Amino acid sequence: MLLEMRDIRKSFTAGPVLHGVDFSVEAGEIHALIGHNGAGKSTLMKTLAGNFADYSGQIVIEGRDCVLHTPAEALGQGVAIIYQDFALVPDLSVAANIALGREPKGAFPGLMPHRALRTRSAREAALLGIDLPMDTPIRRLGVAAQQLTEIVRACSQDVRILVMDEPTARLAPAERAHLFAVMRRMGRERGVGIIYISHFLDEVRDIADRVTVMRDGRVVETNAASRYTVDDLAQLLVGHTDIVLDQAPDRRVAKQKPLGPTMLELDQLAVAGRPGVTLSVAAGEIVGLAGLVGSGRTRLARAMVGDVVSEGVLRVDGRAVTRRSPQRSAAAGLVMVPEDRKISGLALAASIEANMEATALGTSLSRMGIVRRARQRQVVDGLIRSFRIHPPVREKPVGTLSGGNAQKVLLARAVAARPRAMILDQPTAGVDIGAKAELHKLIVLAAAEGAAVVLISDDLDEILGLADRVVVMTEGVAGPPIARADLDRAKLLSAISRVSQTAA
Amino acid sequence: MASVTVERSGVLGTMRAAWAAMGNFALLGIFVGLLVVFSLTVPHFATLANLSNVLQRNSIIGIVACGMLLMIILAGFDLSVGAVGAMSSVVAAALIVHVSMVAGIAAGLVLGLIVGLFNGFCIAKIGINAFVATLATQVLVTGFLFVATAAQPVYGVPEAFTFVGLGKIGPLPVPTLIFAVVAVLIWALLRFTTFGHYIYIVGGNRTAARLAGINVDRVTIATYGIGGLLAGVAGIVLLGETTIGQPASATDWPLSAIAAVVVGGVPLSGGVGRVGGAVLGTLLLGIIANALNLLGISPFWQPAVTGAVILVAVGLDSYQRRQRERR
Ligand SMILES: Nc1ncnc2c1ncn2[C@@H]1O[C@H](COP(=O)(O)OP(=O)(O)OP(=O)(O)O)[C@@H](O)[C@H]1O
Ligand SMILES: [Mg+2]
Repeated sequence: MLLEMRDIRKSFTAGPVLHGVDFSVEAGEIHALIGHNGAGKSTLMKTLAGNFADYSGQIVIEGRDCVLHTPAEALGQGVAIIYQDFALVPDLSVAANIALGREPKGAFPGLMPHRALRTRSAREAALLGIDLPMDTPIRRLGVAAQQLTEIVRACSQDVRILVMDEPTARLAPAERAHLFAVMRRMGRERGVGIIYISHFLDEVRDIADRVTVMRDGRVVETNAASRYTVDDLAQLLVGHTDIVLDQAPDRRVAKQKPLGPTMLELDQLAVAGRPGVTLSVAAGEIVGLAGLVGSGRTRLARAMVGDVVSEGVLRVDGRAVTRRSPQRSAAAGLVMVPEDRKISGLALAASIEANMEATALGTSLSRMGIVRRARQRQVVDGLIRSFRIHPPVREKPVGTLSGGNAQKVLLARAVAARPRAMILDQPTAGVDIGAKAELHKLIVLAAAEGAAVVLISDDLDEILGLADRVVVMTEGVAGPPIARADLDRAKLLSAISRVSQTAA
Repeated sequence: MASVTVERSGVLGTMRAAWAAMGNFALLGIFVGLLVVFSLTVPHFATLANLSNVLQRNSIIGIVACGMLLMIILAGFDLSVGAVGAMSSVVAAALIVHVSMVAGIAAGLVLGLIVGLFNGFCIAKIGINAFVATLATQVLVTGFLFVATAAQPVYGVPEAFTFVGLGKIGPLPVPTLIFAVVAVLIWALLRFTTFGHYIYIVGGNRTAARLAGINVDRVTIATYGIGGLLAGVAGIVLLGETTIGQPASATDWPLSAIAAVVVGGVPLSGGVGRVGGAVLGTLLLGIIANALNLLGISPFWQPAVTGAVILVAVGLDSYQRRQRERR
């Protein structure tokens, strides 16, 4: 056995999170670790990566008993990890981030060979078949590119155990397939034991050799992946059998209300010299924005709320938003849920409550600058309940939440503002399948109450399940909207992957 | 992959893009522009004697600013550099008078290094915030100094020692040469050494650095050590200028040095910064003070002008940064 973790326990000040977990990985194996949001998957893996000096239990690597109290010790044992929320340095180049902590040695000790670093990082990326702009600071890249940077970094280390915490939550289908090929190769050829955390159960079934299911800080069971169906896994994960398991609740069935008047209107909205986008979204309508990673969806979204400079006109409820900025957009009733919850999304040190009310505080939650305490309490508690945020504690700092729960807080904030129009950039990234269905319902509800929704997602089922119309973006150019009725999974996939745009 | 384009249509857009792309050169432009304007309008400004005087007067802050730069890249700063400078000059003065010149200089430098390391220790190992830790050290050191000297200056440093503060080699003042050597060394440290690279990493994202197995504590302690050492160097140069070990001197150093660095376009948020910025920031504030002086404007105006310069320079820089980030 390559790795054995026995009776691992770990508590935070708020209480125990891991209650005696046993977990093992064989050399060359891909071992999937699944469980609901907050089950303790990331905590278990952080323990393995030396994040905590106060865990109890035994970690045995290749028969040797190891004490892993610092990240350096874990790295020394050949444990590399891709953190769910990344550990990159925003102002450094991609190349320097790939080499983080394992910079090449120069001709003289202590000297930094920048050129060697750049060529080595470029070579490592090329070996994995991943294309990244080596000299661009991380800050200027989208989350997908950040994720790929982390992947190159982790896969290029001299590792025996590689942990990937939801590496595909922010990747599009093509990149996921590519990553799986890389994972298989590392397992087969180099005998690396790979631990793979994901909420995409079909992927888990396809790629994993074994699966471990965790629930509330305990292992429910470990078995060969081939023994499960996706439904089995879903039920194990949630812990009861009565959940609704259609991952893509087909909304057209549920929704009969006719669409309202046009609520959000783009008129030749153009970013960075790209052709303008013209689109109108009715009140109550959900328009899906599909495309490859880097196809310009996030840029368009950021341009719409005024987070990046753009030309053209944008109207909310018939009124043009001039000198667009996130503040002015919010005042006009247009909000965005950014794709990147850590850098641009949440105030990590602040409480769930403070994060949730950030947008709404200025409007519905205050009167003449005075916060309406009772109402605010009521709204926040309501959101915590309907978004099933765990732990349901208003004062909890968002930085201590599990990844999926942090994502829910981000979405709740947008909904709390009761916006006229919402742009959701990957709103359910990292959310477990039970909660995902809940979030889908909440998005549909927000639309039913009259909001215009633009939904960016790499999850095709999500787009197909929620959207009334779908716009496919290719290299910054938005195609014509396609009615949901004219689409199926295969058609959408081919529309997304088409490299050159056939004339619209 | 996410491509990074900076094109934009429209005249205004093009102008804004050009302005943003100018980036670091804007400061240099302002500096050169001011040099030209002052040369043309301020009497006696463009004389060799005056420029040499400007260099001489600003070298001390320049040396301190080089150390400050490292700590600011590390996302911190050091409020104790003034107290350390005063201490170094007082101790050096006492030892030069009673023991020997070498012992005096060595003691000044070593003490600076030790206080710097102590700052780093408090910040890295105990986890005290940089503002609080260095503020406390500053008060502590000043307090000790006043007790030890009974607030009396130390006299008696031989005339020969003024070479360090007032001497010249050719047209160049000795302090300026020291400043230049320090600046080049810090430049090389940041540019060529692994340690310099680590300062950027730790300042850019402490957590990421720790998780990547970098010894964050060691980098922090060493960086503050260098900052303290350079404050010690500046203290010795100060002693060379005045020949008096004055416990109440150098109180303006911390803020002046921070001002020089931020005027040089280095954000306090850490992770970025260049020596060129710190040097340019120092000289920019220096020539402005000098021009005001030559124009006979009351010295009481100087702080106000300095404040305005900081706001304008940092404001322009932040605006540019925002523009760059928004495309
Ligand atoms: N630093 C911390 N301080 C306090 N509590 C924490 C901290 N980190 C995690 N927790 C708590 O531990 C529990 C498990 O979190 P963990 O991140 O391991 O979940 P997870 O299984 O990875 O979930 P997800 O699928 O959402 O990523 C959560 O309830 C979380 O709030
Ligand atoms: Mg997690």
